[in-house]
Amino acid sequence: MSASNNNNNDDNAFESSKAVFSISMAESSSSSTSEQERLLPIANVGRIMKQILPPNAKISKEAKETMQECVSEFIGFVTGEASEKCRKERRKTVNGDDVCWAMTALGFDDYAPPLKRYLERYREIEVDRANQNRAANTGENDDNNLLFDKPQRDSAG
Amino acid sequence: MRQPGAYSNLLSGGKTGPHSLPLARIKKIMKKSGEDVKMISGEAPIVFSKACELFIEELTRRAWAMTLQRKTRTMHKEDVAAAVMETDIFDFLVGLVSHTPNPSATPES
Repeated sequence: MSASNNNNNDDNAFESSKAVFSISMAESSSSSTSEQERLLPIANVGRIMKQILPPNAKISKEAKETMQECVSEFIGFVTGEASEKCRKERRKTVNGDDVCWAMTALGFDDYAPPLKRYLERYREIEVDRANQNRAANTGENDDNNLLFDKPQRDSAG
Repeated sequence: MRQPGAYSNLLSGGKTGPHSLPLARIKKIMKKSGEDVKMISGEAPIVFSKACELFIEELTRRAWAMTLQRKTRTMHKEDVAAAVMETDIFDFLVGLVSHTPNPSATPES
């Protein structure tokens, strides 16, 4: 923020070069970290693969890497379909139901039932957890009143 | 207040476990999929963590069938590629698996 008008040209030049700099920084940082950020960890992917195969099965590193790529493509593919549905329905947030719907729309019907069950269970747990937190917070406040008779002693909640 | 045990299997949250795909990373990949993707609910990466597991399992099973055809016990990327080729719902992967970083390959225009 420049107070004086004297160095307007310099400020403008500085601001625009700063803008260019931050854009190129964003681009270069995204390309240097993109390898890590666009793939799921190979250890996790490899583990899931291994669990499904017989004990004596071996998986080449290349096969795991290919699988990493395929999974990311899968996520993008399904997300694209889900977000298109949201766009058409003028909703801004892609939710779990949209993802389930997109799976079916794209031919992954077999996945839909276990996913729906998984989502339902998750929602139940979240409601449970919210209720427990509420109960815990109420309990904590009461305890604090009992333990600390000095009113100015604020204990962490 | 974190409640381990009850949730740790279901909610991966980056920790290792039976359902262990990092949610933050899934969310990043979702966001990169297109301009349209603005907001993502907390549940969506959770659903994907399970869906990706199912996907990996299916593709791995099919790839292993290819491996066995070669009468070997080591899965190679060609097996994954072959599984993609023979499965309709994996059509979206055809470009990806046939895209070998091969200097002799002619680039697509």
